[in-house]
Amino acid sequence: CSLGYGGSKPDILWSPHHVDRYVICDSELSLYRIESLGSTEAKAGVIQLSEETAATLLAINSDTPYMKCVAWYPKHEPECLLAVGQANGRVVLTSLGQSHNSKCKELMGKEFVPKHARQCNTLSWNPADSNWLAAGLDKHRADFSVLIWDISSKYAPEATVPPEKIRLPSGDADVGTVVTKPLYELGQNDACLSLCWLPRDQKLLLAGMHRNLAIFDLRNTSQKMFVNTKAIQGVTVDPFFHDRVASFFEGQVAIWDLRKFEKPVLTLSEQPKPLTKVAWCPTRAGLLATLTRDSNVVRLYDMQHAPTPIGDETEPTIIERSVQPCESFISSFAWHPSAQNRMVVVSPNRAMTDFTVFERISLAWSSTSSLMWACGRHLYDCAEERTGSEAAVESDIATKMRARAQSRYGHDTVQVWRNYVLAGGDDPQLKSLWYTLHYILPFQCPYLTLDQEQKQQGNKQTVVYSGIKNIVKSSSGTTESRRSWSDSDRQGDVVRYHSEERSLALRLCGWIGRGPDVDVEPFLRSLEQEGEWERAAAVALFNLDIRRAIQILNKGASSEKGDLNLNVVAMALSGHTDEKSSLWREMCSSLRLQLRSPYLRASFAFLTSEPGAYDGVLYESRVAVRDRVAFACMFLSDTQLSRYIDKLTNEMKEAGNLEGILLTGLTKDGVDLMESYVDRTGDVQTASFCMLKGSPGEVVKDPRVQCWIENYRNLLDAWRFWHKRAEFDIHRSKLDPSSKPLAQVFVSCNFCGKSISYSCSAMPHQGRSFSQYGVSGSPTKSKVTSCPGCRKPLPRCALCLMNMGTPVSSCPGTGKSDEKVDLSKDKKLAQFNNWFTWCHNCRHGGHAGHMLSWFRDHTECPVSACTCKCMQLDTTGNLVPSDTT
Amino acid sequence: MDLHILEHRLKVTSIAKQGLFVFTHPLIKLIFLRSRTRCKFLSLTETPEDFTLVLDEEGFKELPCSEYLQVEDSMWLALNVVSNGHASSSSQAVGVTKIAKSVIAPLAEQHVSVFMLSTYQTDFILVREKDLSVVIDTLQEEFNIYREVGGECVPVPSQDVHNGFQKNGKEATKATVHPVLSPLNKFCVMSLDPDTLPTIATTLIDVLFYSSSCKDASHSSQDLDCVKFFSFSLIDGYISLVMDTEAQRQFPADLLFTSSSGELWRMVRIGGQPLGFDECGIVAQISQPLANSDISAYYISTFSFDHALVPEEDIDSVIDMLQEQRQMKLEV
Repeated sequence: CSLGYGGSKPDILWSPHHVDRYVICDSELSLYRIESLGSTEAKAGVIQLSEETAATLLAINSDTPYMKCVAWYPKHEPECLLAVGQANGRVVLTSLGQSHNSKCKELMGKEFVPKHARQCNTLSWNPADSNWLAAGLDKHRADFSVLIWDISSKYAPEATVPPEKIRLPSGDADVGTVVTKPLYELGQNDACLSLCWLPRDQKLLLAGMHRNLAIFDLRNTSQKMFVNTKAIQGVTVDPFFHDRVASFFEGQVAIWDLRKFEKPVLTLSEQPKPLTKVAWCPTRAGLLATLTRDSNVVRLYDMQHAPTPIGDETEPTIIERSVQPCESFISSFAWHPSAQNRMVVVSPNRAMTDFTVFERISLAWSSTSSLMWACGRHLYDCAEERTGSEAAVESDIATKMRARAQSRYGHDTVQVWRNYVLAGGDDPQLKSLWYTLHYILPFQCPYLTLDQEQKQQGNKQTVVYSGIKNIVKSSSGTTESRRSWSDSDRQGDVVRYHSEERSLALRLCGWIGRGPDVDVEPFLRSLEQEGEWERAAAVALFNLDIRRAIQILNKGASSEKGDLNLNVVAMALSGHTDEKSSLWREMCSSLRLQLRSPYLRASFAFLTSEPGAYDGVLYESRVAVRDRVAFACMFLSDTQLSRYIDKLTNEMKEAGNLEGILLTGLTKDGVDLMESYVDRTGDVQTASFCMLKGSPGEVVKDPRVQCWIENYRNLLDAWRFWHKRAEFDIHRSKLDPSSKPLAQVFVSCNFCGKSISYSCSAMPHQGRSFSQYGVSGSPTKSKVTSCPGCRKPLPRCALCLMNMGTPVSSCPGTGKSDEKVDLSKDKKLAQFNNWFTWCHNCRHGGHAGHMLSWFRDHTECPVSACTCKCMQLDTTGNLVPSDTT
Repeated sequence: MDLHILEHRLKVTSIAKQGLFVFTHPLIKLIFLRSRTRCKFLSLTETPEDFTLVLDEEGFKELPCSEYLQVEDSMWLALNVVSNGHASSSSQAVGVTKIAKSVIAPLAEQHVSVFMLSTYQTDFILVREKDLSVVIDTLQEEFNIYREVGGECVPVPSQDVHNGFQKNGKEATKATVHPVLSPLNKFCVMSLDPDTLPTIATTLIDVLFYSSSCKDASHSSQDLDCVKFFSFSLIDGYISLVMDTEAQRQFPADLLFTSSSGELWRMVRIGGQPLGFDECGIVAQISQPLANSDISAYYISTFSFDHALVPEEDIDSVIDMLQEQRQMKLEV
């Protein structure tokens, strides 16, 4: 508190112990009580400070003119004892309100007078010994500027000036209350602008002197520590970090670390106007509030995350922001001593505002789909609700992927369709995708192709694999046949198209099996088995077998949980007639739209459509893509078919519908489709597994695919599914041999700087095993304990003191003769146990096995003189994989 | 001990008494309207001869050209001794006395002319800018020397003594011993809260500008043994006032700061003829014997004469000492 009140700019002081009291000081002292608004609403003379709080004026003290600074007595009692520093350097003890405390009465009005009058700039009570009051005064040529008064001392005339020289102004008749002998006098021939006691020791005082900051040690007053600086105003100690001090000069705040006092550890960005107040928040670590002249904002500097002490190299992270508590200019502010981030600001016209600085919100996503945010002292955790009910919202994709990773989703390379089951078996798109891949993939790998495919070796094979779109494009030699309904003897007018490619497409759609057999019956049976009655009926119908369709519907109606309405549909079907203008046709084509099942709608659309115009089937969007495509392959001419497939493909790509993979195959088109699927769902897992099965040259190298793969690997790492990630990498390298990871890290020799592996130039980095480092279990190679490049010895293990390169003996200290025995014993462990490990901080290390066993019981480095807490520095060392089963 | 070379670049001027009216406006601006000027160093001393005005370049710009204004050609720099808490507190004497041996005497030996200005707050030793290298060289053994640049103290690197700079070392001419005069009026040295300066403005204007008019002839004849002396300085925001008890009575008692003991001072005026600016060793002549006897003193140089203030109880012994010294010199 070093403001002068001559300019009538009010300052504000909060009671150190009574959290509802504060004092406004300008030309007089006014004591206020702050309360919540509800309890004081009715009373008169209440000043509203905010929506919730109001202040009541309790007392005014105008006994002390020429006030320059005020400091509140730091002890609980007497309650409202204030020290007032005056323009003439006198310090007066005064009080506000009524106090019946005898100590207070005794102290009231007591004056402390310096030898030479000059302005008192600052006052500071000693927090440990509350009898000590430090006053900082302006310069006098012969006098001291820092005076420490003992408020309990009695006036002793003989101690100071000879009586004949005392010419005190006659006003001081009551000399009994005047003290002229300070306990300590410091800073001769200097000026003191600001003061604060250091919490480190009761006898340490930090003072902002003329052009330097000084630390006075009262245990030895002839000594002081000082640093030349301009920033000498408003010295204040961080209440949370006692070595951190802030001071200012004009518009600039300097932050000091008392342990490194030579220069400020930090200077905050300079303000255009001079600062008037700088104060650490007492309720929040590392938050500094600053105020400049003629400003309506308080600037806040959050140093919470700035390392302490702030190193030379590191760029300190300080978050700077401004808050505006009120419209008018702010004359001064005071932090509330206990309510978090709360302050009262006072404007030059004495208007007061109660204000709470809203804490920044910091937010963190967990790798497992929960969200956490912190605000002030509150921590909020937002986790996905785990309700058993089916109606619950679909769980987050991260949760799904996590569960799928645990069920080894994507890893079934033999029965590819089973991956759909591993994924949970409830996603129709995934079902379509994995069935498609199941049908496609046998064509991809030559050794899996079935007998009839032999002639299709070569280019056909890649065509298959690139999706129906490309297959139908390459179609040639299409033949037409007029077909009639299976139970009809009339020549039908339904035109069906045939070609090798169309049969292949039907096969990929799953309608007909492999081999020469083109019968749709097995497919119908499998649909019946799964209870997809409507779909089976539709497929039968599309194959012009109306009797079979009716049979299926009857079966569906009579099955368990069967829908009796299917019988009604069967009835309707049985009335089918070719007659163009029949009532049946008319009714069916209008009423079919009321059917709920898309397959039944499509069936009636087919039956009632004109030949060659099948839009009712082809654009029935809820009919599976594979069925629509199969249908199109049967009933559309080459031009129609190709146009339809193109249109459908684009639709699928745009929607990111995985059913479209049937059309695109694992091609560039497929990647485009998958891209919109990933954009829509974020499911990089499916994307990675699916695209890995594509051609390595074209698809897997696509940067988007690589990105999905890397993201999926990172996800697995983030979930600590390290084993799953390793499995994925193995899976990946099987499908894409080029993806084998390069050795990114190698151990280099201390002397020559070359890798200590053998002939690294001769061998590619890829696939280099650690045995080449000469640290494998082989006893012959283990003799190599020197760098192959320069033949200098390798460093020694800090525990067994053997040169690296020697194998680990399982019990350190045993002789060399035991080595072979030990190695054979735990050969499996030996490989990793022999690896080099070291702490990145202290550079000490040794055999991995030794280090592991050492750090199981210790956190400190095994090297005797080293105090490095290696284990605590290793953030991943304390984690365990969460996918171990 | 630290020696600070301050940033102020100063001019020493003299305003003739009859020409004061030309300067009242700039002076009132410099003294009372601090926010309107960038002047940071102002000292105005009235003596029977003239008004001595010492001020920095910014302040100097405010002064009009006039036949009544005499300006010393050189640019002057202010030095300030900062004890930094290491001072031996054994000696109670302060001011010029304290620095007599460490600063004044060595500079006199090197023939550096000094202009002293004591205030309530401190003592300024003004030296010519051209003498600075000699000053630094002379004092660097005794002091850590800092130069204030932009408000920061920058250590001055120690100079190589044998670097062949221009020494002022003429053959040590025998120092002239000047007559001393001790008027009877008692002085006090005081300060003032700058915020209350407006409160005493009328009194101050009265004392500064109308001092001669209010005195009748009989009064002045009665005051033959008294000397008109009033000094006001406003340096870096600090106010210092030196006035006799007569003048003090015109000010409200509770606003001016002084020592709690209310000590009073007597003046020793040095010089029968105007001293000029080139003679060296004048301050040393006075301060040496004071230092020997451990007597505190203020010292205020003006355009024509030097003035030392000593505690009233010590005035007789000081005069005796100085007379004795003069006698000895004359005999030699």
